Amino acid sequence: MHTTTKNVPPENVTSAGKSPENNKKKFAVINPCRMCQPMGAVQALLGIEGAMPLIHGSQGCSTYMRFQLCRHFREPINVSSTSMSESTVVYGGEKNLLKALETMKLQYNPTLIGVTSSCLTETIGDDVKGIIRKFHESYKDHSEERPPILSISTPSYSGSHIEGYDKTIKSLLESLALSPESSDKNNVINVIPGNLAPADVEEVKEILHLMELDNIILTDTSESLHAPLNGSIEFLPSSGTTLDEIRQTANSKITLTLSKHADSGGIFLKKRFGVPHVTLPLPVGLENTDLFISTLSSLEDVENIPPELERDRGRLLDALVDSQAYNYGRKVAIYGDPDLVSGMVSFLTEMGMEPAIIATGTKSNKFSTDIQQIMSRTGHDPLIINGGDLYDLQQQVKKTGVDLLIGNSYGARIALDENIPLFRVGFPIFDRVGAQRIRILGYKGSLNLLDQLTNTIIQHYYDEAGYELMDGAEN
Amino acid sequence: MQKNNKSHHNPEKGDEDVISSLDLPDIEIPEIPKEVISTLKSRKKHMCIKKEGNESTPACNQASVPGMVTQRSCVYGGARVVLMPITDAIHLVHGPLGCASCTWDIRGSRSSGSELYRNGFSTDLQEKDIVFGGEKKLLETIIELNQLFKPSAIFVYATCVVGLIGDDLKSVCREATEITGSRVIPVQSEGFRSVNKSLGHQLACDALLEYLIGTETPQKKVNPPQKEGKKPLQKKRETFEKDPASEDDVLESQITSQVTNDICVNILGEFNVAGDLWAIRPLLEKIGVSIQAVVTGDSRVEEIANAHLAHLNLVQCQKSSRYLADSMEERYSIPQVRVNFFGVEETSKSLKSIAEFFNDPLMMDAAENLIEFETNRIKDAIIPYRQRLTGKKVAVYVGGNKAWSLIRAFEELGMEVLMTGTQNGLPEDYQRIKETVRDGTLIVDDANAMELARLLEKYQPDLLVSGAKEKYMSLKMGVAFCDFNHDRISSFAGFQGFLNFAREVDRAVSSPVWKYTPSINGSVFKNPLKYPFKSKTMFNAKSQRESNCKVKSESMKCKKSVKECSTKPKISPEVM
Repeated sequence: MHTTTKNVPPENVTSAGKSPENNKKKFAVINPCRMCQPMGAVQALLGIEGAMPLIHGSQGCSTYMRFQLCRHFREPINVSSTSMSESTVVYGGEKNLLKALETMKLQYNPTLIGVTSSCLTETIGDDVKGIIRKFHESYKDHSEERPPILSISTPSYSGSHIEGYDKTIKSLLESLALSPESSDKNNVINVIPGNLAPADVEEVKEILHLMELDNIILTDTSESLHAPLNGSIEFLPSSGTTLDEIRQTANSKITLTLSKHADSGGIFLKKRFGVPHVTLPLPVGLENTDLFISTLSSLEDVENIPPELERDRGRLLDALVDSQAYNYGRKVAIYGDPDLVSGMVSFLTEMGMEPAIIATGTKSNKFSTDIQQIMSRTGHDPLIINGGDLYDLQQQVKKTGVDLLIGNSYGARIALDENIPLFRVGFPIFDRVGAQRIRILGYKGSLNLLDQLTNTIIQHYYDEAGYELMDGAEN
Repeated sequence: MQKNNKSHHNPEKGDEDVISSLDLPDIEIPEIPKEVISTLKSRKKHMCIKKEGNESTPACNQASVPGMVTQRSCVYGGARVVLMPITDAIHLVHGPLGCASCTWDIRGSRSSGSELYRNGFSTDLQEKDIVFGGEKKLLETIIELNQLFKPSAIFVYATCVVGLIGDDLKSVCREATEITGSRVIPVQSEGFRSVNKSLGHQLACDALLEYLIGTETPQKKVNPPQKEGKKPLQKKRETFEKDPASEDDVLESQITSQVTNDICVNILGEFNVAGDLWAIRPLLEKIGVSIQAVVTGDSRVEEIANAHLAHLNLVQCQKSSRYLADSMEERYSIPQVRVNFFGVEETSKSLKSIAEFFNDPLMMDAAENLIEFETNRIKDAIIPYRQRLTGKKVAVYVGGNKAWSLIRAFEELGMEVLMTGTQNGLPEDYQRIKETVRDGTLIVDDANAMELARLLEKYQPDLLVSGAKEKYMSLKMGVAFCDFNHDRISSFAGFQGFLNFAREVDRAVSSPVWKYTPSINGSVFKNPLKYPFKSKTMFNAKSQRESNCKVKSESMKCKKSVKECSTKPKISPEVM
């Protein structure tokens, strides 16, 4: 069935007419919907056991990123900075970087240091790789161990945090993965989940555990960003992907990437070591999770699908049917990271909701293709805002009107102005607790998501006796 | 130098129920060895203990050691905190997206009118703009934003990259002012310009002085209609309006201000975080003083433009605003008085000093009555809090001026301050802190995350007062936390604010959850991970797994992965 999706022309202008009188804009970004590259790089590094990110730039970069991360995850996050100042900008940041590496090794003794650049150091053109080499050479005669030091180029004037995450995974594999000695693959699979909440990574691990598949997760934030209070303080992530695991990734029999925008790592492994690579849509909802499970079960070791997964699928289906009356036809505006959004859109259509406005801050062709693919199956005709910001979104919501808004906490004011409920998912979420426990992957996560979305609809559109409010919302 | 800082509590009528802080036992500070806590050598001079005869203050105002997880931010951060509360202006960050996307809508200052300042605006420089220059894009962006929103002013902040590529902000802003007819104000706040973000404060004040205070609107235009409540004050100041919601009607009738001459003041360094200003304003109005402009809490551009017409500058936040007050004194001959509206005693002192400045007997009477009324009201209300909080120990780590005023407030509650420090204090800040604290208090400058954790472990306070980034580390260690920065949720200024403060502190300290958290002891820290860095031979997962697997019979092939296997040695917390 041929549908036309109203794709937004490159300037993010949403329809004909470019004059600002129609509240459209061409140049400014108002209320951004994405963050910069180093943020993604830091989040990837926080999933590695004992790793410490270092942002080579001015202090503000690391302080503000720590602030955003701390208030989202409600965990202490440690990100170092090389504290560039005026003189270092003129003479180059070599001295500061060497000093920083030295200090970090002395104070924190991490297993890995990830040096991400910032727009400042990319513009002055510091040769970070060369400086790191110098650092290693100065220790050549010492017997003490030095942690591997990665250099990741993450200028914030291009791309977004999605790209930063992707580059970091690739850089980890490039520097650490060892070539396999024999051509026999072992029974381990690599999984690259993408930039997800810790609870989601945990769900992936649980599914793999149920299917008895040994796995290496790149990278695993399920413990470090969701740590218990047990009387001890850790400055570095105490559990996550270990370096040894990363070293063996070339021996695995397949790499599964669950977020299409984080696939550089898998592509690299395939190219260099011949590890087969498969990208899947994010396993949110019935169809995507089915695809994920069937891909897993097509691997050799797996005999049959465990009964728990069958049961969970059945429960999800049961819940979908139970709540279909509340959800059918509800118009939704959703914004966030591209893979998260396309995964959720697929599930929303399964629920019977109607995605009216689909927005992402990271401009991407893959994203539009994905959405169009989903929409061609279902016949919807949403408006896509590709690479826009929340101002664009708000103008559209004003125009078309939706029943529900889904995205991060920055949409709270839009929801208030338009008198619609906001369901919080994504990054950052700072006005509610439990952001790191939001689970949307797999059957269990989809079930959780379904319950919460349906209850949000009920809370807002039905009164306390259960009658539908015809003229609008109650609270 | 004050030696006995035990109590600023007025011992007067009906006090027997209140536990006097004069009765507090001296807390035992353990013998402090020369090294306070283990840290880098270069950091040792940044900490000092106050002792008799020890006149030194910690070394401060130096570059942070690279690699330490410092709590400091950059010059842009300094400019941002001063200027972004201006409510009806657009704050446009000229640079790549990251600076704006991490910092919009986090200041915590509230507005009674326009909400324009809460949006995040950025020119989102891309690679080609870095190469070819971003000036054209900036000009187009300003024109576009002006047409969309019609703001009273547009502030343009420079970021690190803009300084490097050499965009001439001043000339672009001048051109934009001519084209649009609005004020377009450049702020040269590149992040790397200084080690101390106070330069950012100063640059922001410079921008205000040069482009805003004392200037006329560039072009006659109608301001967009504002929400109900606040009308901009007339230039001639013939009448001043009382705010619609005043607190005590009884008080109103008793102290109707008979002051007929219009006294107008500016408040510098008040950012209306969580509504502080809305607690201060009624106090001033009750003694007959109206506010011309506030820099910059709940302020409007036109009000600040007329700030030079005030009679007096009240300087609250020293760090950011003393420079502004000095410059205004020089340029417009407006005198300044230092005030502090945090804490009962300090608020009373400030009100008195304002009345004394104007030397008006009616005003001084009004002030005395107000102070007496409020102090009595608060004293009764605070009894239950004092009973629960007396004797509890506090560590304070905040920005420059707050450290000093917090110490006094805690002593009014009967709590002991064990440790105090600031991120980016100047020598005079430390001098004042040193005069205020009691002997044995540790003073620390620019502590980083690890040092703070070690200090908490050593001193074991009941409460840490700091900002958002230290919150979760302190909570994980079982130390209660009270936010005093921009994440505050209630106003702490004035008399009522002190009650709110007591309530927040009580809420943090007296919660039953602390019964369940393990207490901090000496071996809190896990050993720094000592990884055996394996040599570059291949690591065979399968053989490793089988060799590790101590589980059970031959018939049962263990399918657990290496990670899942419970017998695999893990790094475990140190046994106590």
